[in-house]
Amino acid sequence: MALSTPVLGVIILIYLMVIFYLGWLGYKKTKETEDYMVAGRQIHPYILALSYGATFISTSAIIGFGGAAGALGMGLLWLAFMNIFVGIFIAFVLFGSRTRRMGLNLNAVTFPELLGKRFQSRFIQGFSGALIGIFMPLYAGIVLIGGARFLESTLNINYDIAVLILTVIVAAYVITGGLIAVMYTDALQGTLMFIGMAFLLVFTYIKMGGVTAAHSALSAMSDLVPESLTAGGHLGWTAMPAFGSPIWWTMVSTLVLGVGVGVVAQPQLAVRFMTVKNDTALNRAVLVGGPFILMMTGVAFTVGALSNAYFYQTVGKISVVVAGGNTDLIMPEFINSAMPSTFVVLFMLTLLAAAMSTLSSQFHTMGTSIGHDFYREFIKKGELGQTINITRAAIAFTILASVVLAYILPISIIARATAIFFGLCAAAFLPMYTGALFWKRMTREGAIASLIVGTFSSLFWLAFVHKSEAVPLGISKAIFGVDTILSGTWTVVDPILVATPIAFVVAIIVSLMTKPTPQEHLDKCYK
Amino acid sequence: MLGIDDPQIWLAYILCFVSAIGCIIYGALKWNDDSDDGEVN
Repeated sequence: MALSTPVLGVIILIYLMVIFYLGWLGYKKTKETEDYMVAGRQIHPYILALSYGATFISTSAIIGFGGAAGALGMGLLWLAFMNIFVGIFIAFVLFGSRTRRMGLNLNAVTFPELLGKRFQSRFIQGFSGALIGIFMPLYAGIVLIGGARFLESTLNINYDIAVLILTVIVAAYVITGGLIAVMYTDALQGTLMFIGMAFLLVFTYIKMGGVTAAHSALSAMSDLVPESLTAGGHLGWTAMPAFGSPIWWTMVSTLVLGVGVGVVAQPQLAVRFMTVKNDTALNRAVLVGGPFILMMTGVAFTVGALSNAYFYQTVGKISVVVAGGNTDLIMPEFINSAMPSTFVVLFMLTLLAAAMSTLSSQFHTMGTSIGHDFYREFIKKGELGQTINITRAAIAFTILASVVLAYILPISIIARATAIFFGLCAAAFLPMYTGALFWKRMTREGAIASLIVGTFSSLFWLAFVHKSEAVPLGISKAIFGVDTILSGTWTVVDPILVATPIAFVVAIIVSLMTKPTPQEHLDKCYK
Repeated sequence: MLGIDDPQIWLAYILCFVSAIGCIIYGALKWNDDSDDGEVN
């Protein structure tokens, strides 16, 4: 790294002091359960938009997916489009407004609680809470590893100490300050991310001689795609992969649809719609959220792909080769060699902010899911008081689980954690969540059936059919002696594309076959 | 267009900007629209 460690250390120290100040503000403002769980339903639209965006975009979205664009090309821009159109516009305008109102009508303070109360089922709340509590630590584990690797390499400290420092700092403000602290710090982190990514885009295009020149240079390189990738359907970095090829399926099913649609049913994002006081705040947040996401994934995917042209012009190699075959190193390599050293500092902060903002929301959601939804509401049938203290204890417990997972699981599984969690959430929650908000005829039985079928069909597909997870997990191999029980194209079709439609169909059929929800309850939900 | 030959790619590139600008316009038009707002008291 070009920059001296002490300078970077001082800058990070100042950043952390501001974070602690915001965390303290959250602590001071937290008096009631609603403050701790849904930030008192009084959050400013700017803070909502940045907090939503910064939580949505983790380090892996910038480094991991940017690197994937370096290998696969600009086709990933379809995901950026989905992130803006579905992840922001559809999510805020269609889902956000109804989520906020129903959450308020039913006095729900978490995503599982909203679903549980809409369908009058503690089972739904408890099962959803447990599902989040079990699988989210996996997703938090990968974000934690990313953040700790960053601290390790930039500050030259031991990896174990880096994990410890990052965990303790984030845990401190999440446990004490609840969602207010999480969202305030997210807003600061989101602002840093926006500035960092904006600079990255501008510098990259300037370095490459302008927008069209940069793209043309990349288009001219299509004959340089390595044979291993052309065999999979890669047609160049400014072209979509061949229709129906393995790379096309990975790009379209896992990345564009899986991550693009899966985001709507993410509990840590959906809960944010309940943090504002009116629909005007949600509408105003759209104004900030759209450009924010454009600056995150849009820039990461464009720059990731363009790094090929830069490296080819400077060292005569494509990005994957420069990064030694590890796509996660494409973005760091590009930034270190192409950007001015002062920018490298800013970008390091951008990455730390991206990791911390996602991590803090994950910690908060895992804690509320286990402490409030599963333990207090499901096991104890809502008997216990002290929601905040139980949740605090659960946050500490789930953080510990994330740290342990980050150590014991092999990296090949951890690397799939984001996709696993997104896919599972989409299959388990999306039909039920959509029905809860938009279909009055959906019944408790229909919701429970879709939750169970969605969860287990998704888990089945990733353990036995989808190659990317099934092979590292090894469950199929252990039971049936084969890596995957189906072969050919099926092994590259993402679980989300199979499990979510099945769960939707089950939700509709079972709902139509069972007794409608009493009108009185529906009136309360939709008033 | 923009140095990109494949229409599937430049369409995605353009749509990213169009959707982000759409978000800005939507937010600006609705900035003070508080009809049927369901506000928390």
